[in-house]
Amino acid sequence: MVLPAILDDLMVLDLSQGIAGPLCARLLGDYGADVIKLEPPGGECGRRMPPFFHEDPDPEKSLFFLLTNLNKRGITLDLAQPEGSEILRKLARTADVIVESFAPGYLASLGLDHATLAQDNPGLVMTSITPFGQTGPYRQYKGNEIVAYATSGIMAISGTTDREPLQHGGFPALYEAAMNGMLATNVALLTRDLNGFGQHVDVSIQEVVTSSLVINQPYYSFAGGVQGRRHPEGSSFGHITPCKDGYFVSQEGGSVTWDTIADFFGREELKEPRFADPAQRLVNGPAMDAIILDATKDRTMTEMFKTASEQFRMLFGIVQTPEDLAHCPQLDARSFYQEVEHQLIGRIRVPFRMWNMSAGAASCRRSSPLLGQHNAEVFAGFGYSEAEIGLLRDRGII
Amino acid sequence: MGIEQQDPEAPLPLAGLRVIDISNVFSLPYAGGMLADLGAEVIKIEGPGRLDVSRGGAFSGVYPDNEPGDDPWNRTSTFNLLNRGKKSLALDLRRHEGREVLRDLIRVSDVLMENFTPRVMRGWELDYPHALKLNPNVIMVSCSGYGPHGPYSQYPAQATTQEATHGLAHVTGYRGEEPSKAGQSFVDFLATWALVMGTTLALRYRHRFGKGLWVDVAMYQLGCTMVADRILDWEANKRLGERIGNRHPWLAPQGCYVCAGDDQWCVVSAHDDAEWAALCGVIGHPELAQDARFASNSARMQNHDAIDPVIAAWTVGFSKTEAMERLQDAGVRAGAVFNARDMHLDPHAKARGLLETVQFPPEREIGKRSIIGRPWRLSKTPLHARGPGPMLGEHNREVLQDILGYDDARYAAMEQSGIVGTRPTHPRPVLRMSMDERVERGRLESWDPDYKERLGIED
Repeated sequence: MVLPAILDDLMVLDLSQGIAGPLCARLLGDYGADVIKLEPPGGECGRRMPPFFHEDPDPEKSLFFLLTNLNKRGITLDLAQPEGSEILRKLARTADVIVESFAPGYLASLGLDHATLAQDNPGLVMTSITPFGQTGPYRQYKGNEIVAYATSGIMAISGTTDREPLQHGGFPALYEAAMNGMLATNVALLTRDLNGFGQHVDVSIQEVVTSSLVINQPYYSFAGGVQGRRHPEGSSFGHITPCKDGYFVSQEGGSVTWDTIADFFGREELKEPRFADPAQRLVNGPAMDAIILDATKDRTMTEMFKTASEQFRMLFGIVQTPEDLAHCPQLDARSFYQEVEHQLIGRIRVPFRMWNMSAGAASCRRSSPLLGQHNAEVFAGFGYSEAEIGLLRDRGII
Repeated sequence: MGIEQQDPEAPLPLAGLRVIDISNVFSLPYAGGMLADLGAEVIKIEGPGRLDVSRGGAFSGVYPDNEPGDDPWNRTSTFNLLNRGKKSLALDLRRHEGREVLRDLIRVSDVLMENFTPRVMRGWELDYPHALKLNPNVIMVSCSGYGPHGPYSQYPAQATTQEATHGLAHVTGYRGEEPSKAGQSFVDFLATWALVMGTTLALRYRHRFGKGLWVDVAMYQLGCTMVADRILDWEANKRLGERIGNRHPWLAPQGCYVCAGDDQWCVVSAHDDAEWAALCGVIGHPELAQDARFASNSARMQNHDAIDPVIAAWTVGFSKTEAMERLQDAGVRAGAVFNARDMHLDPHAKARGLLETVQFPPEREIGKRSIIGRPWRLSKTPLHARGPGPMLGEHNREVLQDILGYDDARYAAMEQSGIVGTRPTHPRPVLRMSMDERVERGRLESWDPDYKERLGIED
């Protein structure tokens, strides 16, 4: 039985580049939308992002590009040429959603902004994902992961007071921006289902990261408090601690008592008031750290994770590496990984499923497109003859 | 955006929908708050003996002007941000009669959201298969640490320990040093976005196909998707990745540089040769753009240590915002490291209006406060936080009598037996520590006694 997909009635044009915009468009594709990715004839910048398959920097082998462009067909189109813009205008007449990440005002300069395109297609939703949003004095500022982290407010409270502020590793701001782009697009689509009109959705990557600061922000508006970074000294309980083969982190709370935690570490002295009393513990942090370090130096991450979680019901984490995640039985139980067949890379397993659903779940139907892979098919679908497509190709428009 | 006009009369996207929100901590409460912004009627259920932890303790933030008042559980900053615009039903779900009320409510609601450990709703026979029997079109949205199935499904979970397990800590930390805690319950907010994504998808599914579905968000799995590029690098190249602090994994230079003043910083990042040349120009060393040591991205990656002091020698002469403005005006990626004060007062933030002012009812004596709205705008549908978080049990009567039609006698009996209530049965101890003391003890970097004037929210 073929299950219906939630967004399989939608056609999406993805004009975006990099990480956040393309991943947003992919998420729409994951739920069934027909996503057509439009790239400039030279390919978008995401094709040059590491990691590459077998470390071969061929723009067709970027694994980051593969990840953010699953479930799309790919065409090329030079929007900077008047004929290219004209073609986009035609494609946009039947599109439901456009995802874009150009500097604010660029599409308007080509007559391709939402207000103009919606004249011929009032139901059109356009989702713009940019570093600082479409309005405000910084709207033309360039951004990236660390700029979003710095200006959002989160970096000021990451790291330690004796060092510079510290960004988180990887690209969490851009992944989160993609999620918000998809979410806001859904909201615009629900609105359209009610009243028929589409609208322009303005996602600011800076604001996405700020939106996670739910303790930090109202601390100021309720009492004028400004949080800073943590002090480097003091207790490492609740901070990351080394063990025999890696690192772990344990946290008080949940349903367990301090005595249970002491039992897990197998050290009776932890039950003494100087550690058991939270106020005294803060003062006696270094002594406690030494006891815990000694108690765990011969224990492995996997053993401690299992014992602490299953027998002691503690809040316990271990610092897993990408290798650990690649072999994780829990992720397998959640069907996290899906396999795709890429034209040049071959069969590859990709981390795919963000969450599960009893119906209409995300499906991985096709790999990322090669540059212009679907030109013939897509343009034919829009009524262009083979001769016309050849002509466009010769003139460098596609 | 200026061309299109918002229509203040535009119907809210989720108007007419009723959501039951049995939520705790950050992830699900915040998602429910967003659904309220979108127009849903959101009924938050807490137990009189099991309050949401953001009503007190470590996750609750601070009281207005650090004053706990007579009802501290209604006054915490974090709770009022997350639970904006909701109704509150304080209902004891541990008792059979309480769960009967919940069953009645499921029959007349569109969405049921919960973030218990998976065994709880199963044990009460209120998991999705059972909820369906009460309401065949119901949408159920669950959020748990590891998901209801699989070897870790029963493991206790919280963001702080999960950020290690889901792979973020492995890549977070100062360059070449030990893994570092990200803090701020990072994965909770991923869950917030996922829960709203899942709910809006489910609503569209129901709109198109006439049936509900179950959205099952596991925070661990979600966190792992944030390091998907690292996992692919392992799968294809057997590379584990490393901690690189504030540098960029494949572009140079990038870093966080000290500025004039106390603890002031600006990040700088050049993505290509042109941006590097522009950066060299701004910092007064145009000759470095021609220097062979820095002539290509790979050369700059190689000689990054030599570049850092040159940039820092320039940034230290400017305030963080001045450094950012000068660099950005020349086309170089840069960002001042803003703190909570800047987040409220920076001109861009003010112009954008991410922070929204909510007015508390006069009897709550909290006045006006700004809270985070949503990081996206719709050109035609104006959205706002529709009020502060509710007082505990504020809408008990409205929910049980107006929505469920219980008569006066039945309602009075439930109040009498404590099935519903408006006061916590086990109030948390209140932290009494002056703002100055918080600064002295390192809990805060600083505080502004005149913050209300600065924000324009004087009484």
